[in-house]
Parts: sequence; C-alpha cells; structure tokens
Amino acid sequence: MEFAYYPGCSLTGSAKKFDKGIRRVFSILGHTLVDIPDWNCCGAFEYGDKRELMELSGENIRKARGISKDIIAPCPACSRNLKEANGDSTFNVYNPIELFSLDFLSGLNIKRDLKGQVFTPYYGCVLIRPKETAIPDTNVMEGFVKGLGGETVGEKIKDRCCGGSQFFINKWATERLSKMILDRSKGIILVFCPLCHMALTTFSNKERVVYFTDLLLYVAGERAHI
Amino acid sequence: MQRIDSNEINERVFELTGYRRQDFSVCLGCKICASVCTVNDLALNVNPQDILLSLFMGMEVDKGHPLLKYCTNCYQCTNACPWGIRIPEVIRAVRENQGIETLFERVFKGSIRIWGRVYEPYIFLKTGLFLAREGYLKYMPKWTEYMSFHLPKKVKIKTGS
Repeated sequence: MEFAYYPGCSLTGSAKKFDKGIRRVFSILGHTLVDIPDWNCCGAFEYGDKRELMELSGENIRKARGISKDIIAPCPACSRNLKEANGDSTFNVYNPIELFSLDFLSGLNIKRDLKGQVFTPYYGCVLIRPKETAIPDTNVMEGFVKGLGGETVGEKIKDRCCGGSQFFINKWATERLSKMILDRSKGIILVFCPLCHMALTTFSNKERVVYFTDLLLYVAGERAHI
Repeated sequence: MQRIDSNEINERVFELTGYRRQDFSVCLGCKICASVCTVNDLALNVNPQDILLSLFMGMEVDKGHPLLKYCTNCYQCTNACPWGIRIPEVIRAVRENQGIETLFERVFKGSIRIWGRVYEPYIFLKTGLFLAREGYLKYMPKWTEYMSFHLPKKVKIKTGS
C-alpha cells in the first residue's frame, strides 16, 4: 500500500531515529511511504489563533493531493493537527501506531521474543486526547509486547502528561511531571512521541526510553539491541 | 452596561477559538476539569473553570492565572468535561489576546515565518542564552542522540486558500 508521508519538523532533526524506524518498519511490511512534497510545519501547540493553526495543517493536506488518500504522520502533535484540519474530507489521516495492529505487524518476520522482559508502554497526551483525534486502540503496545511473551506495567501512568510542551519554557514543571512517570515505570519505557522521548530521557536516572519502532525492529532482527 | 463593555475585551478570544460566549453557559462548575488538570500535579491549585467563567461573565481573565503560564496542552480537561470544551485552546487564545508569548514560542514561529518549518539549530541558537542561564546545558550529554545537522529547507505556505 502507498501512503503519503508527513515527517514533520522534529523527525527531520532531533527525532531522526524515529523517522528512520518508521520508514524501515513500513518498508519491511512492504508499504511505500511517499514524502509529501514541500510539507510545512503543522503549527504544533504554538498558535492561539485556531484558524491560523488549521491553515498551516490544512496546507499539508492540500500538498498531499495526487499522492495517496492515506496520510501518515508519526509525531502525535502533527497527526492530531492534520486530523483536525482534514475534518471529513476524502483523506484519511493516521498516526502510524493506529495501523500497528497485530495483523498489520504480522509481516515483520519475528526473530526474537520478549520473554522475561518488562516494559512500560507510555502514550502520553495527544495520541489519545482529545477524543475526536485520538487513536482508537490504547493497548497497541501492550498487545504486541504480551504477544511475544513480555510483561507490561504502568497502566495508571500511560496517559499522564510528561510536561513536554513546557520543556523549553518552565523546565521545573516538565522535570516534576516526567519524574512522576519515570518513578512509576519498570523496565524499558516505550514511547511514540518525540517530545515525550526527549523529556523522559532528559530527566531519567537509569531508566531507558525507546521508540516503539526500535522494539519492532529489534524483534524483527533488524537491531542487535532494543 | 459594564458587561457589554467588558465583552469587547473577550471578543477576540472567541474569534480566535471559534467558540461563542454562550458555548460556556453550559459550564456548571462541576470542577471535573480541575480534578484531572495536569497543572495540579504541580501543586498549583488551579481551576480551569475560572477562565471559562471570566469569559462568560465578560470579565478580563486574570493575567497572572497559573494556567496561562503552565497549561501543558494535555487535554485531560477536555476529555473529562461533560461538554468536551477545549480548554487548552481557549487558554492559548487568551494568551494570544493578552500578548503573552515566551521566547521559545517567538523563535518557533519565527522559524516557520522564515522557512515554513521549525529548523531546530535556529531554535537552539536563538534560545542559547536562555538555555545556558536556565541550566539546560547540563543535559547535553543526554542529548547527543538528538543532535543531527541538516541544512534548512525553505517551503512555501499558501494560507487562506
């Protein structure tokens, strides 16, 4: 299947690893990602004017015309904004995690299991809120880990806020919120958001924070370590 | 009379959010938004309803309200609200109306104006003094995995089409 791909700003820089992971997973599964030409910033959470924000995101939908009706955007802020700007149009905007059903991932050619390993799947905020743009299944990571014999913990903190949007504004707030999540985690923390990854990593002691895509590539034998 | 005058204060907020004043009449003060608000995890004792009430009553939102500074855009309030009111978006509009903008937000938007995208090295450069002063540089060893250099790409944005 061919998807129009919206990487978004952070995936071209600080979250390059996430971008590479997404591209590789889709490639292994036999799907093609075609970058939306000259895509622009989605506006994130920096605009008080809703119309201005929706124009920025809507422009990316327009730029996807002629590529595919199915757009994927890995960064949760981007996918949320694009979904909202898309409204009821003929395009389908997905965050890739909502495509990652066990059936969809069955083509990974699993080479490793996760027996005896513990993980804390962490979804954060905008993947699952507000309702209108939320991913439908909030147990994607749990289902995958358990299916391979691993254990998951952290049900109570998986939807709490890491404070990532305050990271470069009020650092103490992000530190306090992130530490609350880190203190209640066990094993490797699995994330699907560049900002959560950075906030939790920055304020971690020994806890490891990895993108879910890194785990997928590990069990598929594409990476030596998670 | 006072209400009519003061409504003008908030007219732009409604314009920015797309909400109408009467949309907030449904808020009965159940405080469920306060009970789930992330900012209360910071022990700041906030009630998002204050802001909705001010807007509905045609009063100016208190410039010092901690939510204007600390709202994390987590949408916990929206999901819990029986009416699904998007309080984070209302807060962003109030901030815009009151001209509240942090250095990071200014630089972020500046990058979009120049390139149409957020170019991280530019953000880092423009906020460098702030980052040094506020003690961020000690995290540099943990940030090595986030550092990659690429040249900026300028893209066009045709808004309003």
